Amino acid sequence: MSEPVNIRLLGPGTRVALVDGATAEIVSNPLDGVWVFARYLSSPDDPARVGSEEMIFAQDIVEIQGGT
Amino acid sequence: MANRRGYDSGLVDLNAGRISREIFVNEEIYREELERLFARAWLFVGHERQIPNPGDFFVSGMGEEAVILCRDRAGKVHVFLNSCRHRGMKVCRYDEGNTPVFTCPYHGWSYRTDGKLVGVPYFREAYHEQLDKSQWGLVEVAQLCLYKGTVWATWDPAAPPFLEYLGDFVRYFDLSLDGWDGSEGGTEILFGVQKWLIPCNWKFPAENFCGDSYHNISHRSVDLVGIGPSGSGRRDMQERLMARRLQISFYDRGHQTGVYLFPKDQPMPPSYQHSPLVAEYFAYCEEERRKRRGEWARVIGSPGEIFPNTALHPRQPRTIAVWHPRGVHQTEVWRWYFVDTAAPAEVKNFLRDYYIRYSGPAGMTEQDDMENWNYAHAASRGTIARRYPYSYEQGLGFETERYEWQGLHIPGTVMDITEAKSSEHNLRNLYRRWAEFMEAESWDDLATWRVARAAE
Repeated sequence: MSEPVNIRLLGPGTRVALVDGATAEIVSNPLDGVWVFARYLSSPDDPARVGSEEMIFAQDIVEIQGGT
Repeated sequence: MANRRGYDSGLVDLNAGRISREIFVNEEIYREELERLFARAWLFVGHERQIPNPGDFFVSGMGEEAVILCRDRAGKVHVFLNSCRHRGMKVCRYDEGNTPVFTCPYHGWSYRTDGKLVGVPYFREAYHEQLDKSQWGLVEVAQLCLYKGTVWATWDPAAPPFLEYLGDFVRYFDLSLDGWDGSEGGTEILFGVQKWLIPCNWKFPAENFCGDSYHNISHRSVDLVGIGPSGSGRRDMQERLMARRLQISFYDRGHQTGVYLFPKDQPMPPSYQHSPLVAEYFAYCEEERRKRRGEWARVIGSPGEIFPNTALHPRQPRTIAVWHPRGVHQTEVWRWYFVDTAAPAEVKNFLRDYYIRYSGPAGMTEQDDMENWNYAHAASRGTIARRYPYSYEQGLGFETERYEWQGLHIPGTVMDITEAKSSEHNLRNLYRRWAEFMEAESWDDLATWRVARAAE
């Protein structure tokens, strides 16, 4: 099991991997430690989500992939 | 009214001028107050200056409950119950700040600043996308009113609009919100809000600020110290030597205030003599005020109360206080301080120092008051003490319906206490309205002025 990600440290532009295999880029962070706003870069389960902006739950973020 | 509870004839007997101690110390009556007063009346929530930008919020209170005063992304002001719809956790645990969302730390439900539920963890997996988010937004007040920067709200959709709730009392409320030069709403608040707890029922401070001038002896030591802005007393009180001193009640609304009514064409005595710059500013404002307000400029504000729990202190110092109930035996006081927006920084700084000397938990005058309220409450809780009512007989029967002096009519039911020195006229009015709220089943029973107007 991977280490939990401290999402309060994720700034705009950071790319993250999600638990369902999707990837997303942080758009903004309200710093509540629970949610970030992010844009989907890939979504194998639901390709229609790519490009859309959603609130991503902290526990759905499994890995930081790069970016700022 | 079909369901009389005996508040008027038993616990609140205004014909005899007696009020039972039970209404200050009885748990059952207190629980009923929360429902019948605080869930139905208009309550002061804060000031627009506390939330100037989109996303700004300030956590306030209505009755016992925490509410969030915030400005959404579109700039609209809202007041929400600070409680997650999922399990009730506070969604905001800061006093103030700026945020795009209010997120519940318990299970993570998240709400936009317009109250809409936007974040639900495992929405797809656990709720199968079937939870109707539109039904689970933050609970919003039934009505909201912005008046000259102040923010008011009520939980009751049937309550009359705020300005109707005030009636003609708005003219006295304006004495707290207009600039000293008479400019409309020309005031701003000095950050931040002072908050503190006192061990007494909320009605002790409420009645005190209705215009209880009988307790002046309590402040004798402050007067001797001379904390006033001219170096003596606690305020500039020269007006007492020349003005009529009035207590004014609005029987159908429950609001009341004191005022000083100046004689026609008399110059205002000098004030703020401790600082030539400040004295000059207020002398200038007085000239401007007379030009703008005409005869009404003869009316100088004194402490008052907007029913049920908002206290006005319109002159020296200029403040608004809310008496938040925190159980039958405890009150949380929140006090906002006001200055003219257009005043020079030196004037604002001078006033800040003076205000803090006078009011708040460390203010010398407010400490005197708290000593009285707290010990009066403690000494009224006992089994024997509760058997004996308080006396509110002062000036009973000496009110005037149509008061006029030197050509100026004064709205409201007036008690001229220039010679009498003191009266409990305004205090009786607070409890008159209190009893009406406790008895009334709905606003149909409370908005009596509508019935009177329809009959005309």
